[in-house]
Amino acid sequence: MKQNGKARALIKFAVSAAVALGGLFLLQRLLVPKYVDGIVEGAFIAEYYGEKKDFDVIFVGDCEVYENFSPIVLWQEYGINSYIRGSAEQYIWQSYYVLEDTLRYETPKAAIFNIQSLQFDKSQNEAYNRMTLEGMRWSPSKVNAILASMKPEEQFLDYVFPILRYHSRWSELTASDIRYMFDTKRVSHNGYYMRVDVRPAENVPTGRILGDYSFGENAWKYLDMMRELCEEKGVKLILIKAPSLYPYWYPEWEEQVEEYAQKYGLPYINFLELTEETGIDYSTDTYDAGLHMNLSGAEKLARYMGRFLREEIGLLDRRGETELQEIWKSKIEAYEAEREAQYVKYGMKEENGQ
Amino acid sequence: MKKLTALLMAASLLILAGCGNDEKVMDGSGQNSEAGASGSAGSAGTVQGGKGYVFTYKGTTIQVDADAAPIVEALGEPASYYEAASCAFEGLDKIYSYSGFELNTYPSGDKDLVSAVVFRDDSVSTAEGVCIGDTLEKVKQVYGDDCTEEDGMLVYEKDGMKLCFILKEDVAAIEYRSTVLE
Repeated sequence: MKQNGKARALIKFAVSAAVALGGLFLLQRLLVPKYVDGIVEGAFIAEYYGEKKDFDVIFVGDCEVYENFSPIVLWQEYGINSYIRGSAEQYIWQSYYVLEDTLRYETPKAAIFNIQSLQFDKSQNEAYNRMTLEGMRWSPSKVNAILASMKPEEQFLDYVFPILRYHSRWSELTASDIRYMFDTKRVSHNGYYMRVDVRPAENVPTGRILGDYSFGENAWKYLDMMRELCEEKGVKLILIKAPSLYPYWYPEWEEQVEEYAQKYGLPYINFLELTEETGIDYSTDTYDAGLHMNLSGAEKLARYMGRFLREEIGLLDRRGETELQEIWKSKIEAYEAEREAQYVKYGMKEENGQ
Repeated sequence: MKKLTALLMAASLLILAGCGNDEKVMDGSGQNSEAGASGSAGSAGTVQGGKGYVFTYKGTTIQVDADAAPIVEALGEPASYYEAASCAFEGLDKIYSYSGFELNTYPSGDKDLVSAVVFRDDSVSTAEGVCIGDTLEKVKQVYGDDCTEEDGMLVYEKDGMKLCFILKEDVAAIEYRSTVLE
């Protein structure tokens, strides 16, 4: 009798605990941001895990990669299979760990890193941290990325149990929070964020005078780590500076990057100096006055990059591979469908295609 | 057993109710609203004086974290204007350029607040009389020694804002900065 009572109590406890934990799990799923409409950038990092991981090229970096290069053009015109692992204001230590995370699954032939984030020596904003870190699958790379990124007021446990951070979002929930509790939808094209609208670059301010133009020790440390990781894995590291006109890219910063690239024999492409070669026209190829490229600009940059990757890095055309052809067929359809929808949305084309 | 279960439930409730008074709120977009971010904003403009160091231009007093709208209206047509969307988030950082200085703003709720005033040449000076080209000695004479050095700048903090003097040999630039975004 006594034993039966104990067993019943144990079962009761186990059921209660399971109900409580299940409830917490459901609440967490409900409350975390879904990034499926409006601000979608927080979904980019996680989307990679659903891919067949056989990429020739992985881009890492901030908005200057995910808004400025079209992987679809790289495939369609050069047969280069590429993916962009970038997110908003992705700091260099995050790009390092995202690349390390990527190399757990595959070994691309080249990694392209946009060096804009060298200007930051520590994380600036928790919300940006979360957009990158929450999308990473749990691994030592994610743990280290969190530890490297946390601002003093942040807690590691909040990343393990996001409900601790988002518990007060209940008043802002929308239908999407319920619709996408356990599922999500694709919001990027191999990590590329598409915008077709046009806003010419005018009155772009010059940079403020800085007291010190040197990149910080921490930023350099992670660039060294990225270079060493690529060397160890046999991945060709390519440094780039996207042609974004703002935030201002200082000549003093350019000198430091050029010196580093030369010292270690790394290719470095500063697209700000290649407007003639790429054909970038700041009156038609940007949607936000020079900060980011629109689709036209991103396709032009992809064409230049494709030529470079083929001629200088020796990447082969894989358009003959049946499996890849199939994969890209549906990606191209999604890309073209979104392009047409955006032309209508931004009044650049009427719904009937005129 | 019942106590343990109750404890677990209480913990859940605690999580839902909030874990502290000094919490920051992560809004629907994932963006932080730092506690005090909007609270530090005054209703600036020509009528306002005083929190931290302020810059006065043709009778218009400008203080950081103040509502930019009345200031911009009082200053009149800028020589140029640029707006920059932040990566991912809604709202625009705006830069208004006037003769000798530029005014930077950041979005906060439905307002734009002043994030910085940046001197561009020596045609303008601080309310205390320091301008670009002045010496370090003059800066110290006017503002004293109670300052810090950060990244090649002399920084005077007052009421949650910073007055920064970027020094090369002499004063190369002067900025009034908000600390809200740091």
